[in-house]
Amino acid sequence: MDTHLNHPFPPLQALTSAHLEAAARANGEPEWLVQRRKDAWECFSHAAPPEWRRTNLKGLEPETIEPFAAPQGTGILWDETLAERGIIFSSLTAAVRSHESQVRATLGTAIDPLRHKFSALRAALWQDGIFLFVPDNVSLDIPLRVCYILADGSRAIFPYSLVVLGRGAKVAFIEEFTSHDAPAPALAAPTTEIFLGEGSSLQFASIQQWGANVYHIGGQSQVFDRDATSTWVSIALGGQVQHIEAEAHLRGAGSSLTWHGATFARKQQRLLTAPLLRHTGVHTESHLDFRTIVHESGYSVFDGMITIEHASRGTVTRLEEHSIHLSPGARSDSIPGLKIDTNDVAQAGHASTSGQIDEEQLFYMQSRGISRADAMRMIVTGFFEPVFDALPLEEVRESLSAAVEANL
Amino acid sequence: MTGELVVKDVYVTVGTEQILNGVNLVVRPGTVHAIMGPNGSGKSTLANTIAGHPGYTVTSGEIWYQGQNILELEPDERSKLGIFLAFQYPVAVPGVTVANFLRAALNAHRAVEGTDPKETAVPIPEFRTMLREGMQRLEMDQAFARRYLNDGFSGGEKKRLEILQMSMLKPGLAVLDETDSGLDIDALRIVANGVNSLMALTAQSAPNARMSALVITHYQRLLNYIKPDVVSIMMDGRVVREGGPELALELEEKGYDWIRGEVVAHGE
Ligand SMILES: Nc1ncnc2c1ncn2[C@@H]1O[C@H](COP(=O)(O)OP(=O)(O)OP(=O)(O)O)[C@@H](O)[C@H]1O
Ligand SMILES: [Mg+2]
Repeated sequence: MDTHLNHPFPPLQALTSAHLEAAARANGEPEWLVQRRKDAWECFSHAAPPEWRRTNLKGLEPETIEPFAAPQGTGILWDETLAERGIIFSSLTAAVRSHESQVRATLGTAIDPLRHKFSALRAALWQDGIFLFVPDNVSLDIPLRVCYILADGSRAIFPYSLVVLGRGAKVAFIEEFTSHDAPAPALAAPTTEIFLGEGSSLQFASIQQWGANVYHIGGQSQVFDRDATSTWVSIALGGQVQHIEAEAHLRGAGSSLTWHGATFARKQQRLLTAPLLRHTGVHTESHLDFRTIVHESGYSVFDGMITIEHASRGTVTRLEEHSIHLSPGARSDSIPGLKIDTNDVAQAGHASTSGQIDEEQLFYMQSRGISRADAMRMIVTGFFEPVFDALPLEEVRESLSAAVEANL
Repeated sequence: MTGELVVKDVYVTVGTEQILNGVNLVVRPGTVHAIMGPNGSGKSTLANTIAGHPGYTVTSGEIWYQGQNILELEPDERSKLGIFLAFQYPVAVPGVTVANFLRAALNAHRAVEGTDPKETAVPIPEFRTMLREGMQRLEMDQAFARRYLNDGFSGGEKKRLEILQMSMLKPGLAVLDETDSGLDIDALRIVANGVNSLMALTAQSAPNARMSALVITHYQRLLNYIKPDVVSIMMDGRVVREGGPELALELEEKGYDWIRGEVVAHGE
């Protein structure tokens, strides 16, 4: 068993490297990890706040937050038969000891911990987390799920998912973030690093359903070896503010990614997703379909960048964005970018639509007896359907549809 | 009479443009009433006005159906009253499957005010059977049930789907706006059978509420299959001639100039 320190750290403004070190040692962490936490803390303490034009953290007051010095809330759906097949699906703190070399070789290598103040904070303070390892040629039909829960009364959570797929491995992995409405502003700062081995195949879903008053500042990354394929679903429904930097690095020849995003921002929510798709391998493919609904005073941002880098050849990429505005006070911004540093590109396409619900669609449906309100609900959930369809689990699909409908 | 559609001196504008200029029309229960007329004469405008399209403003006149002036009713309320419009250009709704759409429509029709909609909803197995049989009758591939509504459908497939919807909703008045256009000869026969058999069905099962059809078409061809009782000709936003089935034949032979000439001769 872990030796948990169940007391919180002092608030961030009073927290020091020495606190971190003491807690890490009390948790039995190896020297390299203690050192990494200290380096990251050093970076956090000295780095200027990032200049994010579209993310406003004013209400958060991070300096008063008291993070926990030990894991708080990670729910893992575990099945005993997994171990027999060599699959590791355990808490990350446990894996640091039980599978130290594997964790050390991958942790913090897909997302640079020192990239900015918040990546550093995440690397310094992560506690909750999971390590998922699927050995070569092992494939699993049932999706694995982890649920990160911000405990009532807690003001911070720093979860970490580390996923490593061996050659030819196949798995579906769902990461969920949930909480009640937080009475005081709370910080959720998760990190997700995923490594896809040669020829492996992944279905990954990240589902953000925090309650009100939660500020989500997340980093996600997938790194592709040769012929690896991934379907990535990003759902953003909850929280107060979301700022997710999500990167896919298609470095292996023949690797491919299909990415579906659904964001539903309402009330005063400000939800930003910033995907970065890097093509550096030969004949890599990416398809991105990002869908947004904004309602009431909600604000959504799609800040996407696709880079087709010098080493790549024959890249195929296609970006689609669609948004629906349900109320005049709702806004959405889209900033798609494409950088090409090679003259060997097979295909690079972009399409986007934006506007209110089509009156002709409403009339058509109403002319069949369906009320205007029901027609709207059907059109809106239908709009997200291609995204939800890509989810690996029916019950998740249904609960998300219901969650969207409930807030129309 | 209750099942009668009465269009009384209706004027309609779209935006700033006046498109219908005093349309008068009566469709009696159990009858087929054909409307013909050149492109742009206002046939679809009339159809959309009857169905309650919010873009068409009725500036004067009345439309009565089932003893009500329906102009105050929302499109869904008109549908529940028994009016069905088969669109000239059916609208695609990506993300909404044909099956889910039809079930929602059917349940809306079955809903009773003050009762939990769950209680009146059609049980799913019963719905599946209805849908399957309906599609079989129209010789549609069952796979259409799971496809998104009209999304990527061919012209003919869309028209068949309109008739499928009609056959499931069993309206009292079907307005068919160029349902024959884009259909091959086999499809035309199938679609016409769909209309005729539904009319025959209500003639037996509901003699007091017999279905009637307002059939907008450019071609006599359709009227060989769906025999009209009355033929009206529209021009420039009004009905300029009314007659029996022979009028359609005469029109086919002589063209619209013949009528245009007569209208002018009568000093209209
Ligand atoms: N939504 C609209 N906006 C602008 N003009 C319109 C609109 N709907 C109809 N009109 C105009 O009204 C006139 C009548 O159109 P309508 O579609 O009713 O004709 P139609 O008789 O059905 O023709 P067709 O045989 O080609 O289907 C046309 O001149 C058309 O351009
Ligand atoms: Mg027309």
